[in-house]
Amino acid sequence: MMRKKILFALFLIFPFIFTACDSKSPEHNNRVIIGISADVNIFNPLFTISVDEGAITELLYLSLFDYRWNEVKGGIEAGPMLAKRWEWAVDSSSLKIFLRDDVYWTDGTPLTADDIVFTFDVYSDPIVQSRLYGTFEDLFVDEDNHIDVSKTFSVNSSFEFEVNFPANSVPNLDVISPSIIPAHIFRDLKRDELSYSEQNFKPVSSGSYYLKKWDKNQTITLAANKSSFLYDEDQIDEIIFKVDPDYTSKIIQLKKGKIDLLELVKVEDIEELKSNSELKIVPVIGREYDYLGLNNIDADAYSNGEVVPNKYFGSGNVREAITYAINREEILNERLLGYGEIAATPVSSIFKSVFNDNVKPYQQNITKAKNLLASEGWDDVDQDGILEKENEEFSFTLYYPSGNPLREFASMRVQNNLKAVGIDIKLEVVELGTLIEFLFERKINAWMLGWYIPIPVELKPYWYSDLESTPLNFANYRNVKVDSLLDLLQTNIPAEKRTEIIKTFQKMIHDDEPVSFLYWVPNICVYNKRIAKINITPLGTVSHCWEWRLQ
Amino acid sequence: MEIAIKNSPEKLFIATEKQTGKAFAKRFLTSLITLFLLVSLIFVFVRLSPGDPTKKYVSAQLSPELSQKISEKFMLDKPVIEQYFAFLLNSVKGDLGVSYNFRQPVMKVVWEYFSFTLVFSTLSIFLQIIFSFSLAIFVARRKNTFLNKAVSDFSLFIYSIPSFVLGVFLIYLFSVVLNLFPISGLKSLDYDSFSFWGKILDQAWHLALPLITLSAAGTAMFYKYIKEGMDDVLHQSYILNLRSSGVKEKVILKKHVIPNAISPLISVAGIELGVLLGGALITEVIFSLPGMGRLTVNSILTRDYPLIIGCVLTAGIVMIIANYLADIIKIKFDKRLLKGLLN
Repeated sequence: MMRKKILFALFLIFPFIFTACDSKSPEHNNRVIIGISADVNIFNPLFTISVDEGAITELLYLSLFDYRWNEVKGGIEAGPMLAKRWEWAVDSSSLKIFLRDDVYWTDGTPLTADDIVFTFDVYSDPIVQSRLYGTFEDLFVDEDNHIDVSKTFSVNSSFEFEVNFPANSVPNLDVISPSIIPAHIFRDLKRDELSYSEQNFKPVSSGSYYLKKWDKNQTITLAANKSSFLYDEDQIDEIIFKVDPDYTSKIIQLKKGKIDLLELVKVEDIEELKSNSELKIVPVIGREYDYLGLNNIDADAYSNGEVVPNKYFGSGNVREAITYAINREEILNERLLGYGEIAATPVSSIFKSVFNDNVKPYQQNITKAKNLLASEGWDDVDQDGILEKENEEFSFTLYYPSGNPLREFASMRVQNNLKAVGIDIKLEVVELGTLIEFLFERKINAWMLGWYIPIPVELKPYWYSDLESTPLNFANYRNVKVDSLLDLLQTNIPAEKRTEIIKTFQKMIHDDEPVSFLYWVPNICVYNKRIAKINITPLGTVSHCWEWRLQ
Repeated sequence: MEIAIKNSPEKLFIATEKQTGKAFAKRFLTSLITLFLLVSLIFVFVRLSPGDPTKKYVSAQLSPELSQKISEKFMLDKPVIEQYFAFLLNSVKGDLGVSYNFRQPVMKVVWEYFSFTLVFSTLSIFLQIIFSFSLAIFVARRKNTFLNKAVSDFSLFIYSIPSFVLGVFLIYLFSVVLNLFPISGLKSLDYDSFSFWGKILDQAWHLALPLITLSAAGTAMFYKYIKEGMDDVLHQSYILNLRSSGVKEKVILKKHVIPNAISPLISVAGIELGVLLGGALITEVIFSLPGMGRLTVNSILTRDYPLIIGCVLTAGIVMIIANYLADIIKIKFDKRLLKGLLN
């Protein structure tokens, strides 16, 4: 009986013992814990796909240039990183790069021009199938899009080399900005087996942090690389990415100080988090917008190889009428509680230098919407509340993805708003992967989705008329004048001209309204105030975390 | 060797070792066919359902050729029947392919997750059996009392609580309010600095709430099965006979009631173990645990075809093994059940 009592007592005090053990010991206070929703699968910049994979590998593997967000200009600027300086040829046909001579891989090997040449050879090798395969058209490539390294690179010494650009290309730093990998680690591996290599999980890296430990599906621990030229003694010792798929659990941990930083916090949690004096809330607007997708072409005809206007949304007036009918302010205020911004075009206001502020979002105007629809022949002949044209009712199915309450709410509001102008919508929820498949097959009329905008601004993949080469043009928008602008952007033009073209593009897109642009979704980041010198920009949160300090 | 089975008081059923072996071999063969059909159906269905694993390689920053190259690499550009025969050929060699997401062999990925699920589920099933059994015996000795009724009602209440509600409640109470247990995860951040026993206790501390969440409903269900089984046996005339012969209540319970009442529990426990080994998705997500449930769902959502097959195959195998184990244990307790198996 006594033994049972002792065991019972031990059982009761067991959590207290461990709660005491769990409190942070002084030697471990110099670390920051960041909550993420899913584990990474790989630590090799050749193959990273997810946002978190990209952010972590960019800390491990440095690039030639250090890109920073310029708040005043609303764009990115390249600064020195592995390249300590660079010189353009007068005609921009080549670029001479001078590398730092104090950069070492974590195994002690110096990082040299050989690593740079090898990296670009591997990135562009069709056998490797890296994430950047096929994107080096501004360098000398063969018919398989493999970079011709002998023509592209001229190595002068271990720390000096030149990049040569072919005629008619657009010489730029971006094309040689990807993270550099160690040649001495990957050179002897078979190229077709690179993606399965064990080295992808035990990175020999060059960044300000190295991978100290990877507890799969639990934590990724990065430790300060004391041999890095970026290191100083005030740098935070450890950056720990804690994997937790449950949003509520992450919020609780944030409040209790078990997590120091969390992105993509829901607006409904902000008020409660504001009451916590240890937390700072930073909403960043601008890289993701939601839209009501409208297929500009007839889906059935397209499946038969024909391109004809969609019977509902083929006309710009009808698409404009739909946008006029939607109360976007209401969605923004009710669901995003005022955070976020109404979208007028696919170019965000954060890109200050190219943003056209003369293009104003359409304000809800039911009368104007009805008039526009009437001008296109849509009329409620049988007085049943639904418009008709040529004996066909204006009635369609709107698909929205499961698991996204904001888009579900927006879909229902759109349904109600459009009913007021005589358009009947049936809502259908589908799994995201299935919806994406529908869009690639161009087989649905209307959908609710969002786009994440790349930096620098890329427009051609979404809005170019050649549907074969631009599979992401889900709306099947076609306008030859817009095409000519997008083609011009691919050429070697001065920055001012480029700005002018992007502004004109916004005006034309606004006039055509290929889809109903709804709102820019904020990325709300919350972090513990003990982290100082943190600069959250549209480029990301952790991109310069070696500059953070703890107070 | 012969196994004598009392079929009825008058007739004695004799099963030879050969017959027993034959029966098990037959079941093994049936299981193999079941697995083959299961994997084949899943192989075809996932490929025919909407969604394309290579579409994640289509973006504004990636080249359209990349998705084509990857499609070729994983043979996704080939007809389904051709992919299927290639899969069968590789499977025979023990190669289930490479996971599209993890870029590692499927069996390696599955094992990483299954090893946790194996420990977690086994612990859970043991806890379920031990607690339900102890409770049933405790209650059996207190027949027609308030406690008996209260425990039965409470078990029904526990059984009806969804695991996500229980999990969130436990986190709120023990992690947020009382600050006694961790909110999520499998180990502490300083786990590596702990001693061997420190590590064991740390994991036990982390697994306490998930185990309660996962085991609560099962414990209540098992309790119900055992209690009903014991009530049935306790009403048998031979129990009255034993009592009237002066046999102690403890002996009656241990030697006559429990062995006869345990059979339904073992059948259900076998199924429950198989289900748990297939993954406990809700508990894994709430407590951020790396189990088969999360792996399976993620593989489906990301259209990682080889991994889906690996997960389904693993779930099928463990279900079959769990049922085998349950049958063997049942026969150990009650040899009469062998006849049913042989038939």
